[in-house]
Amino acid sequence: MDFSFTKDQELIRKSIKEFFEKECPKDKVRELKEDKKGYDPKMWKKMVKLGYTGLVIPEEYGGTEGEFWDILIFMEEMGRNIVPTPYFPTVVFCAMPILEFGTEAQKKKILPKIAEKGEIWAYAQIEESSEQDASGITMSAAMSGEDYTLNGSKLFVSYANVANQLLVVARTAEAENPEEGLTVFIVDAGAEGVVCDVIPTTARDMRCELRFDNVKVPRDNILGEPGKGWAVVDYIQQHAAVLKAAEMSGGAHAVLNITVKYAKERKQFDKPIGSFQAIQHRLVDMLTEVEELQYLVYKAAWRINSGSPSRRLNSIAKAKANGVYHRVCYHGIVMHGAIGWTEEMDIGLYHLRTRSMEFDAGNTDYHNDLIASELEKSEPEFLTLFA
Amino acid sequence: MDFQFGKKEEEFRSEIREFVKEHIPQNEYGHMFEEEHEDKSWEFSMSIAKKLAQKRWLTLTWPKEFGGMGASFMERLVFSEEVGYWGIPGVGMGVSGTAWVGPSLMLFGTKEQQEKYIPLIAAGDPDGVWCTGYSEPDSGSDLASLQTSCVRDGDEYIINGQKVWTSAAHRSRWCWMAVRTDSNVKKKHHGLSLVIVDMKSEGLTVRPLKNYVGLHYFNEIFLSDVRIPVENLVGQENNGWNHLMQALSFERGVALGFTASCRRMLDELINHTKETGLIKKTLVRQRLAELEADLEGARTLAYEAVWKMENGLSRIYEPSRDKANVDLLFEKMSRFGSDILGAFSQLDPLHADPRWAKIGGIYENLFHACPGIAIAAGTTDTQRNIVGQFGLQLPRSY
Ligand SMILES: Cc1cc2nc3c(=O)[nH]c(=O)nc-3n(C[C@H](O)[C@H](O)[C@H](O)COP(=O)(O)OP(=O)(O)OC[C@H]3O[C@@H](n4cnc5c(N)ncnc54)[C@H](O)[C@@H]3O)c2cc1C
Repeated sequence: MDFSFTKDQELIRKSIKEFFEKECPKDKVRELKEDKKGYDPKMWKKMVKLGYTGLVIPEEYGGTEGEFWDILIFMEEMGRNIVPTPYFPTVVFCAMPILEFGTEAQKKKILPKIAEKGEIWAYAQIEESSEQDASGITMSAAMSGEDYTLNGSKLFVSYANVANQLLVVARTAEAENPEEGLTVFIVDAGAEGVVCDVIPTTARDMRCELRFDNVKVPRDNILGEPGKGWAVVDYIQQHAAVLKAAEMSGGAHAVLNITVKYAKERKQFDKPIGSFQAIQHRLVDMLTEVEELQYLVYKAAWRINSGSPSRRLNSIAKAKANGVYHRVCYHGIVMHGAIGWTEEMDIGLYHLRTRSMEFDAGNTDYHNDLIASELEKSEPEFLTLFA
Repeated sequence: MDFQFGKKEEEFRSEIREFVKEHIPQNEYGHMFEEEHEDKSWEFSMSIAKKLAQKRWLTLTWPKEFGGMGASFMERLVFSEEVGYWGIPGVGMGVSGTAWVGPSLMLFGTKEQQEKYIPLIAAGDPDGVWCTGYSEPDSGSDLASLQTSCVRDGDEYIINGQKVWTSAAHRSRWCWMAVRTDSNVKKKHHGLSLVIVDMKSEGLTVRPLKNYVGLHYFNEIFLSDVRIPVENLVGQENNGWNHLMQALSFERGVALGFTASCRRMLDELINHTKETGLIKKTLVRQRLAELEADLEGARTLAYEAVWKMENGLSRIYEPSRDKANVDLLFEKMSRFGSDILGAFSQLDPLHADPRWAKIGGIYENLFHACPGIAIAAGTTDTQRNIVGQFGLQLPRSY
């Protein structure tokens, strides 16, 4: 058992941390709130140059061939600094499943563009019902000759406004089981019939409505097998859940630190408010939750990194992150008093991101249900020992 | 990062499970605090203690020369988990002896004390059963304010006062007692001492206290001119507070056994919902999942604390963090579990009737045990005080 990172991993963390602290101070975060693109192309270029978009991509496709730990550490630091970038949709939602399910030709064509050129991708799954299981996917893709024709709309697609390419999940066949008959398509964001509108959201991570009106997609642009798209979606959700949880864990740590610091500085009744027990106990509960979340994320990541992912642990990490991130922000703000409720303080910037992050890669109800499914399948030790 | 146990620990775990298969009946699992209640269960506990002693597991962390097996922190972790999961009784030998009396005597007891008391504990002998007399009616969380007086008279000390909430005093041969040897001090932490009191002493009375379900777990001890020989002073006179802190540090890490008990109780609950089909209900699924996530978290944190201790990285606050965390988990589990059992959760845990009780009545028991857990060994809130002070470096609040 080892609860520490290696020296190399600590070095990677240090350089990522320094990069974000330098390139993305909170002024920058505020500035980008009002930006039409929602990210800073110059910063993005630097990130690409440092190899960040290729962290989990093998060298033969232009990446740095790191471990899952590398991208996990990257996400933690990104969350700590709340960096507005199209990184998550591009790398986690798209590059990772392409690496897993793509044909050799697809990987050769696409991955170097992401790793070396920073081509931006977006992932379109969610629709009007807002459901995250397969029943939420109703958009149709009909086969016509050598092509498919996509009709329908997708919602809350992050950074679709600046994406070159999209992964779109659509229904190619009706089946009793909603997980059957789904297909994932690679769609050129500039294709005829694709219309994109930005939806105003609090995190400003460029959630878009995408409308597809008779959009033609060649058969070669299917990721994975036709009709078996749920396998791809599930893969995306499982991995994105852990990496999003890592991002939230980094954010929750930052909020805790901001609040503890403030509690030591701010005085009322001639004492630092941190000397009041009501404040202390709230902070202590925050600390416990934040440390717990951190290690739950590491535990799930450890299983992924060693090639035996645990669905139970992946869902636990995300379900916990959803609850903890919100609670930490809420209590953190309240402990600041009125100043915490203003745009002047950084802490609000974190809380503005909770709804987006909570929903991405599965909300709490969704993951709780997945956990329950794993529990249903499990055999308790007390039965097996005496069997 | 690596969350796997080593081969040595896994082998130890299987060895313990073999022992469980042979000696520990599983239909009586989960009756916390009941070990001391009835003569029958106490005798059974003591018989298991003897067997554990033969394996050197009773005092596994003790050095070999004192009858232990010199186990590592990780082995101790495994043992605590198995004890919690399978409900192996007798491990505490009346709560105190194996956990802190023995280790404290090794640290600051005299050679004579070590030779007289330690082998009895390590052997699982009835004369090795101890209770701990810290709390008094007016001194609970504020332990240093205790008033039971202990005055030197020639070769003896004379003790007068009262102890309360003394677990297993009615089963114990000795009491590990904190007393005031000097009341003329500026700071209440000064003038305290630790002494060994023979429970058969003249002038000492044990009165049972029943908890609100009728369980006899703790007691009051009245001391009226109780005489003990001066050799029964442990450590230095008036240096008791420091010795107490050393002794309390051996109490750390209770969270591990507790998380393993939670694991068992949750496993039992999940199994019940599978057998009854309740697990198909959305609300039940959500609750089970929430408990599963909380438990996985509490357990992982408790591991982290042990790993830190093993690597000399402990920052003091972790065991308090984990005790508070587990208190909250027990409460949530007892509530969710009871809700899932519905009307049957109102059964009297002390008169469990197998005709009615679901899952062996463990949730009825837990429901009323969990406030006690949250109070014993330092309340949830006093643990939070410690974390605030030592984990977050906040100014002391009281
Ligand atoms: C099951 C059980 C077994 C026990 N076994 C033993 C034993 O074997 N030997 C022994 O000596 N004692 C034993 N105790 C006693 C236990 O150690 C005390 O109950 C505990 O330390 C609290 O003291 P108290 O009950 O006097 O409560 P108090 O100290 O009076 O506390 C009352 C309330 O005030 C709160 N409070 C007190 N001080 C503070 C503070 N500074 N900040 C915030 N809140 C505060 C507490 O959290 C609590 O909620 C046992 C208790 C239980 C429940």
